[in-house]
Amino acid sequence: MTLAMMGPAVVLYTVLTVVPVGVAIYLSLTNWNGFSSADFIGLDNYRHLFDDPNSTKSWYVTALIAAVGTVCEVGLGLVYALILKGRSRGNSFFRAVAYFPHVISALILGYLWAAILGTNGAINNTLGKFGVGPVGFLFDENMALYSLIAVIVWAGFGFNVVLFVAALQTVPAELLEAAAIDGANRRQTNLRVVVPMIAPVVTIATVLNLVGLIRAYDIVVSLTGGGPAGSTQTFSYLILARSFESTKVGYATAQAVFLMVVSAVLALAVTALRNRQDQAATG
Amino acid sequence: MAVLEADPREKKARSVRTPAAAGGLSQAERREARSPVRWVLLTVLFVVMAVPLYLLVVNSFKSQDDILNNPFSLVPGRMTFAHLSAAIHSPQYNVIGGYGFTLFLVVAVDVLCIVFAGPAAYAIARSMKRRTQLVMLYFLAGTFIPGAAVIIPVIYVLRDLGLANTVTGLIAHDVASTLPVSIFLFVGFIRTIPVDIDQAATIDGAGRYRTFWTIIFPLMRPAVVTVLILNSIGIWNDFISPQILLSPSSGHYTVTTAIYAGISQYSTDMTKVFPNLLLAVAPVVIFFLYMQRHIISGLTVGAVKG
Repeated sequence: MTLAMMGPAVVLYTVLTVVPVGVAIYLSLTNWNGFSSADFIGLDNYRHLFDDPNSTKSWYVTALIAAVGTVCEVGLGLVYALILKGRSRGNSFFRAVAYFPHVISALILGYLWAAILGTNGAINNTLGKFGVGPVGFLFDENMALYSLIAVIVWAGFGFNVVLFVAALQTVPAELLEAAAIDGANRRQTNLRVVVPMIAPVVTIATVLNLVGLIRAYDIVVSLTGGGPAGSTQTFSYLILARSFESTKVGYATAQAVFLMVVSAVLALAVTALRNRQDQAATG
Repeated sequence: MAVLEADPREKKARSVRTPAAAGGLSQAERREARSPVRWVLLTVLFVVMAVPLYLLVVNSFKSQDDILNNPFSLVPGRMTFAHLSAAIHSPQYNVIGGYGFTLFLVVAVDVLCIVFAGPAAYAIARSMKRRTQLVMLYFLAGTFIPGAAVIIPVIYVLRDLGLANTVTGLIAHDVASTLPVSIFLFVGFIRTIPVDIDQAATIDGAGRYRTFWTIIFPLMRPAVVTVLILNSIGIWNDFISPQILLSPSSGHYTVTTAIYAGISQYSTDMTKVFPNLLLAVAPVVIFFLYMQRHIISGLTVGAVKG
């Protein structure tokens, strides 16, 4: 009976999630070009994972987005959580203001920001009236990546605000009173008492952000299209672009498998940290 | 994690416990509320978050000249509904048309996800066998798989099943992708429901499916709401799966794939860009305004526990 109840879910999940992973691993060991028969070439694709400059560059772009994006999202999340932790209508409103992009498709947010930051966008047209610019937010090779990161942070930090506020509200009032009695000012209390108390949640948020940002795709498509000159091409973007536009399907899936491994390692880190936190909470 | 919004009872309880100290705290909080740093930070927050939405709304009602020359202006006399109306009635890449298909996808995936995940989670939660717990781990492994990385092999699998480029194929893939987190959340919740209830139902002669659907499932409301919100917003906003699993030849567009197809055609015509984006954003923002508390707690629980 147990088997019958689990059966449909297990079959569906196996066929459409697990089997594709198996197919990806198999294809990554071949030189398949998408049409003719595939030859088994062992780990050759993996050996050349970082050979071509495009892959190397896309890893640099992805790593920078993940690292800078995570630091900014967690940092801003903490700052705003600390000032919005009180239970009041006003705070609740500002939390929603910070959070709302999280429910909108990243693709659409990217197009909206492209209409604001582009050459003919709202900001450049306004600057133009004062004879300034245009500023190459999206078309300057050195600037586009930072514009992309800024938009990603804009869309993502509100989630951390909500997460941290929930954690902050569980910090016992007695602890804050004790700190106040000992003569700590607000900054000292926040830095030495409050933040350490919610450290486990900050860790979880950090890894969640890292895992999410390392997969960045939709927003790249709509904001920059990977350009200019590939300067904002993330790893996910490169994999999907290659799978369709070139015949190196085997090579592209090797990259996909590699991305999967990196995500899994980061995600396993979340689980390990969460377990440690649970033990700390119960023990 | 469940308590994300102000719970007046809790605050009252705390102030009853330590009345003097609580009074002192609220004074500190009042002082904090007036601090200039806080005021500056909140003003910056509001401006930075709201201006893109403001631009989206006002520019949806302006001519191309006004959008390009005065993007920030709002002159009621110069506003026009023409472009928004054109976007609504556009024969090509119609976002409103996308609503229907996307909503259909959302409902189909929501319903099927519960039909598949519910009984499976019940079986896992109520079994003591080691084997069943391994099934749970098997599902959990799915949360580690990045969607973009396996979407290409999914095409090959669907092709072998004869479901390539079909709505059925897309729904099957979407349901499969929602199962791990949904099952995980359901299992956690069912374990908090006393087994005595199941036993009473069994004594009364109910089979396991009947026990689950008529007795246990109605008790799972909070978990079901969380899963529905998580899946609905995920499917509504999804771009990769419909874009790659349904080619334009299928004739089906979701809101996101319609916007993608449309904007690549008219990227310089701002009187098309803004109204279409407004149409794409409006349903989600309205849904968010109405269901804010449920959505925020649902998405948070889903991300942290899933």
